[in-house]
Amino acid sequence: MKSVCFIFNKPPYGQESGKELLDICLMCSAFEMPITVIFQGDGVLQLIENQQPDILNIKNYSKTFKALKLYGVETVLIDAAGLEKHQLVTENILNIGEIANSKIIQNVIQNTDFSIML
Amino acid sequence: MKTLFILNNPSKLTTCLEAMAKDDGLLLIEDAVILTRKNIERKEISLQALNEDVTARGVNHTDPSWQLINYAKFVELTLTFDKSVTWL
Amino acid sequence: MATFSLLITANPYSNQGQYSALKFTKAVLEAGHIIKRIFFYADGVLVANRLNCPPADELNLTKSWAKLAIEKDIELTVCVTAALKRGIVNQAEAERNALTSESIDPAFELSGLGQLTEAMLASDRLVTFG
Repeated sequence: MKSVCFIFNKPPYGQESGKELLDICLMCSAFEMPITVIFQGDGVLQLIENQQPDILNIKNYSKTFKALKLYGVETVLIDAAGLEKHQLVTENILNIGEIANSKIIQNVIQNTDFSIML
Repeated sequence: MKTLFILNNPSKLTTCLEAMAKDDGLLLIEDAVILTRKNIERKEISLQALNEDVTARGVNHTDPSWQLINYAKFVELTLTFDKSVTWL
Repeated sequence: MATFSLLITANPYSNQGQYSALKFTKAVLEAGHIIKRIFFYADGVLVANRLNCPPADELNLTKSWAKLAIEKDIELTVCVTAALKRGIVNQAEAERNALTSESIDPAFELSGLGQLTEAMLASDRLVTFG
């Protein structure tokens, strides 16, 4: 089966792209493709705890990130440089993956059959 | 596996380069072709830009580190590399 | 000979992405390769609106895709969830949602996101235009 990696690199809610990319990810999981999810750069902001987009009348999809393991997503990588840029530590974000440096992220992108970002 | 990174937004160059490894390729299209004016000093990756987008924007004096290609070569490149990722 | 699929998310008249995707698609076909499917997603679905009416001296992207699809027998698939939100509906969806009319150009087809995954699995390359 072909593998796919999804790269989240934008903050949530200003644009829909995070949710749209997540929807593709869930669909690929339904097809049982091996999936890696990467939160790179500003994408780490998708993982900040205690989001309340409902006060903007926008649907909260950050809960779905917590369920990625249940959807069979084995590897979730969180960009160390992205966390540093936004002065975030692991306690500020959803505990759903491993912190990774750019070498590890490069390696994962190189080793999957498809890479998608939106 | 070698990856072709397709970049259309010049302000995303830095994060795109961070994700690129040795032997990957960078193809500038649309607004990103303005980046051909300078040498980005990354010798371990191949550097291309879509000539139609360069010409359309009147970008001249491109740096010789960038190879200017047409759409036929764009298609070829996506096959030379093992996959492409459009860095949005 | 290779098989390509495209994922297009670019807003048709706000960004260059749809123009680039059209040129890329033509170049793929000219090189003798196969287009398995072109999948429109996010704002990219707006190009499927048959009521799009650009000025006569601008390229009509909807008609350009439709012409290519008919001449070269290419599947233009529009994500139904993204489309319904943006008012791109076929007759069945119009009736189901009590809307006055359908709005999708007949060259395009509404379908689920699974069609994108299925296209990826059946293609050598997926190229995104956003």
